[in-house]
Amino acid sequence: MSAMLVDVVSVSKRFTPSVSVGERIAAWLGSPVETRTVHAVDDVSFHIRKGEVLGLVGESGCGKSTLGRVIAGIHPPSAGRATIDGLPVMGEGRKPLKTTTRIQMVFQDPFASLDPRIRIGETIGEGPLAHGLVGKADVHAYVAQWLAAVGLPAEAADRFPHQFSGGQRQRVAIARALAMQPDVLVCDEPVASLDVSIQAQIINLFLKLRRELDVTMLFISHDLGVVRHISDRVAIMYLGRIVELGPTAEIYDRPRHPYTRALLDSVPKLVTGSDELVTFKPIQGELPSPLSPPPGCHFHLRCPSAQARCRTDAPRLDAAAHSVSCHFPLAAGE
Amino acid sequence: MSALLEVSGLTTRFSTRAGVLNAVEDVSFTVDAGEIVGLVGESGSGKSVTGFSILGLIDPPGRIVSGSVKLDGRELVGLDHGALRSMRGREIAMVFQDPSATLNPVLTIGAQMQLAIAAHEKLSEQAAVARCVEVLNTVGIPDAAARIRAYPHQFSGGMRQRVAIAIALLNRPKLIICDEPTTALDVSIQAQILTEMKSLAARLGTAMIWISHDLATVSSVASRILVMYAGRLIESGPIADVLRTPRHPYTLGLLNSLPGIAEPGQDLVQIRGAMPSLIALPPGCAFQPRCGFARAECATRPELTVSGARGLRCHFPLAEAAE
Repeated sequence: MSAMLVDVVSVSKRFTPSVSVGERIAAWLGSPVETRTVHAVDDVSFHIRKGEVLGLVGESGCGKSTLGRVIAGIHPPSAGRATIDGLPVMGEGRKPLKTTTRIQMVFQDPFASLDPRIRIGETIGEGPLAHGLVGKADVHAYVAQWLAAVGLPAEAADRFPHQFSGGQRQRVAIARALAMQPDVLVCDEPVASLDVSIQAQIINLFLKLRRELDVTMLFISHDLGVVRHISDRVAIMYLGRIVELGPTAEIYDRPRHPYTRALLDSVPKLVTGSDELVTFKPIQGELPSPLSPPPGCHFHLRCPSAQARCRTDAPRLDAAAHSVSCHFPLAAGE
Repeated sequence: MSALLEVSGLTTRFSTRAGVLNAVEDVSFTVDAGEIVGLVGESGSGKSVTGFSILGLIDPPGRIVSGSVKLDGRELVGLDHGALRSMRGREIAMVFQDPSATLNPVLTIGAQMQLAIAAHEKLSEQAAVARCVEVLNTVGIPDAAARIRAYPHQFSGGMRQRVAIAIALLNRPKLIICDEPTTALDVSIQAQILTEMKSLAARLGTAMIWISHDLATVSSVASRILVMYAGRLIESGPIADVLRTPRHPYTLGLLNSLPGIAEPGQDLVQIRGAMPSLIALPPGCAFQPRCGFARAECATRPELTVSGARGLRCHFPLAEAAE
């Protein structure tokens, strides 16, 4: 593992819905305007080293997809910066920089992410042609090469997305991303919409690409089992903040944040002994609204070990290799 | 004791322009009172259509071609519309995957719950409200007496699914068919619902058919498992036995596909290929084109063989120690 490739420094992303006409009139008549801001990502910092796979785990609404899009240069951050090799992934405003082609994204739903009216070959070849990665004469061979890399025959280039199954479409989406020869692949739930047997095929494909192409990846998923299988390090996100970050085995075997512990306890495990009694220790309550996150530690409302300090004082991620953002982290083995 | 639900030879087909789609073919199983049975398969395996067929919820171009579904000895296939309506909800209820699609967004949950009671029973409004509050308490909705005046959008996803489960419990059915009830939920909420459902089944003696694609979820609620592939039931038995010593190559393949069996970073043992189209199933065993153990005999269709508590549809079952 070598140099730092992606660096994310204090990135925040807030969404403010635009004020409706009715509210504008109400404001004009003197009623107080209520600003509703969604704090999707709140002061997040981490880095990804070259050749590393970083898993990003969290429940729906925790901001993991937004964070992925900020890093891919799709959303500009509200504060902070994301850089690749020291260059920002996005310029001022919405103007994309040359660096954005160095990060490519694979989305969850291959039924929505491929243009149904364009042949696969064009879908894959369009980006590399536009960016001069390949000349017009060689584009067929180039597309065939990337189709082969993801386990599809060269004839696939002449077909349309509807002629493929879900797993094959996801392979096409991966080929499209790889054909841009990116340094970093941001994968947002790439296997969530696939059946178990197809999911295994795509996970194996990612493992193969890692071995052969040394791809650096941010692998976003809600599935703790999949992330454990594929990642070098794992970041756990809760309500816009990273609560724990460390080497995969450390996070799964010795979680230090109460939320990580609770999340791991919530995952149903395969029961193969008839006398095994299945008991969950579900997390109490539900995710608070990101419109009005609680003060202090975001998790304190649901945390079994919360104390007075947690209600007022937001903990920060420490700088250790296995870092945790908690005032009262769990001791090993707890 | 005879079984609560007895499904035998159930075959449901859909006539489409492309041809006849064999969604469910020759499926037989039983469910005892108070038992939770897991029905597992990938998309297109026919597990949901099996659930719909039991409730008589197959609309044209679909049709139950043959087979029988008996509840407490009474035949349900072929019942007329009215008889089916009075059976649904009262004797067999259903919980669907997406609670935001099953609840009526313009009625308070109290109003739609009272409708569900009124469909089967004449109760005074007071008694109906009391029943609603009682079942909402049963499924763990806090402050139920006030919450029945709320609309579905005022509940979170997990709470909405609890409401859907509460509606299924309203008329005290003997059997609840749960079609992927936790798939749309986050793991922490899923754990809450799973715990709740298990204790409900134990407390109320309600039987359940738990339809899911997730082996781990099923293994944590069900006592028996039915595995479907391409419309056919291919393996069944007590859940721990089947998961410990799967005898059908597909069940083994499904288990091996799960991350968590292999060491992190190692390739998963994958099943090659994809499920065949239900319109053009291969002759013989439907799994044969993807099966690593297939031989010439597999071109003829294997029958479901039962030995003890376990059922199997395979010419060359894996040996007990083939793990």
